[in-house]
Amino acid sequence: MQIYLPIAEMPVNVFVIVALGASVGFMSGMFGVGGGFILTPFLMFLGISPAVAVATQSTQIVAASVSGVLTHWRKGNVDFKMGNVLLGGGVLGSIVGIQIFNALRAAGQADLFIALSYVIFLGSIGVLMLSESLQAVRHGGSSVGAIKREPGGHFWVHGWPLKMRFQRSKLYISAIPPALLGFLIGLLSVIMGVGGGFILVPAMIYFLRMPTSIVVGTSMFQIIFVAAFSTLLHAITNQSVDAILALLLIIGGVVGVQFGLRFATRVRSEVMRLGLAILVIGICLRLGIDLVVPPLDPFSVVIEEKE
Amino acid sequence: MKSTALATFLLLLAASAQAQELAAGISRDAIEITSSFTGTDVVVFGAIESEVGDGLPASAYDIVVVIRSDRPHTVTVRKKDRVGPIWVNNETRSFAEVPGFYFVASTKPLKAIAGEEVLEELELGLDHLRLGPAPGTIGGPRTFREAIVRAKWRGQLYSEHPGGISFLSSTLFRTTALLPANVPAGNLKVTVFLFANGQVVEAGRSSTTLYIDKTGIERRLSNFARNDPWLYGLAAVILSVIAGFFAALAFRERE
Repeated sequence: MQIYLPIAEMPVNVFVIVALGASVGFMSGMFGVGGGFILTPFLMFLGISPAVAVATQSTQIVAASVSGVLTHWRKGNVDFKMGNVLLGGGVLGSIVGIQIFNALRAAGQADLFIALSYVIFLGSIGVLMLSESLQAVRHGGSSVGAIKREPGGHFWVHGWPLKMRFQRSKLYISAIPPALLGFLIGLLSVIMGVGGGFILVPAMIYFLRMPTSIVVGTSMFQIIFVAAFSTLLHAITNQSVDAILALLLIIGGVVGVQFGLRFATRVRSEVMRLGLAILVIGICLRLGIDLVVPPLDPFSVVIEEKE
Repeated sequence: MKSTALATFLLLLAASAQAQELAAGISRDAIEITSSFTGTDVVVFGAIESEVGDGLPASAYDIVVVIRSDRPHTVTVRKKDRVGPIWVNNETRSFAEVPGFYFVASTKPLKAIAGEEVLEELELGLDHLRLGPAPGTIGGPRTFREAIVRAKWRGQLYSEHPGGISFLSSTLFRTTALLPANVPAGNLKVTVFLFANGQVVEAGRSSTTLYIDKTGIERRLSNFARNDPWLYGLAAVILSVIAGFFAALAFRERE
């Protein structure tokens, strides 16, 4: 069944879009990532312009994350205090990110710099996660391996000032590392144009040493605000949010995320980390291949304005 | 719709009998985009008033039909180049005056109808689109402009149909243009040229406008997005939050 999209100015198949929303929602519920890095290229593959694809996928991410956070919240799996600290850092990060982005653009070769650092960054996170989670899976439990947490054990960030108690995460650490992490994610999302969930989630697991069960809900909480802000920004500056496309993606997304959450509860946390590691490496490979393989058409054409 | 078009046609014919060598019309003068829009056909038809003017027989004439967007777009083209082992966007050029839709049909291949200068002046044929630089930029070499045409052609938005005009009699002609589903909303200008001896004959040009507009909810949504972007963005966010809320609620009840 085809339906015409008023802003994208083209028709799409209703079932394809709902299914796309549902599968990305499922992944989102499993891993606590937004999924924009899969949605955007897929929508563009269907012929939707990049501006509309980027702007509209963020509404699906808001809806799926709200759906996921509410369910996690009922189970006590959201650390709101941690989420707010991350967000605070994120806001500062995006402000600084815009300056850096403009400076890079002005200097030229911004694309090369961004693409390379992205691939290297994702590659190292993915490989580290993969080796840790494989080891944990092989030893048959999360009590063995790199993220073992001894009661009262001290990690290097524990000595920093501004200590805060994050009850949900069972952490008593300085507020600086999570704020710094939020700052970095905000920076990256502006420069690279992604939500950053797949960087935030591993960082919360390995760097902040939060329990995996809390990480997904807290990451989604943070993503709601990032994606909502992005939706507003695109609606105001580009008028490129397509309401019909959004509605179809949302219908799939909010349901998909619920199935993802349920599936995640049946899977051991090291298996979930392994899955996320494979996902991160997959994205890294795709980006890496795009960089190295000669393009079919070296030219890309983008419509700037329609007026 | 058909009867009005026919009436217009007859009117045009009557008018042309006095002054023009060419009369032309379109099968419909407005297209409404609804939620089920998946593209449509438009028939352009007309008649040559033979033995007027220089008294040539009808067979000595050639016809070219052009349908193109009234309002041009601004388009950016990026070219990837090799830097070491890596392909990366290198040059970027901007072009204004890029039609969102361009269709040309002719009785013969365009190069057999008129010379290069004439085709270029009238922008007839995909090779002859001007695609001027965006204000304040230097434009780009031919390869960049060809990339635009290639991309639009792939999206079925640009097409060229040599021999795509059929004659119903020695003086009556018609051609059918496909407007694909992704045709940009906005007006299309339909122009019919009458050529003889490589030139457009005097009064051998006829233009009409084909109105394309969204209707119903499609129209209301795009107007909303354009006129109240703040409210529209807020509504999109609120809708997302509500949808997420209800999904979480629905799935709780099933537990």
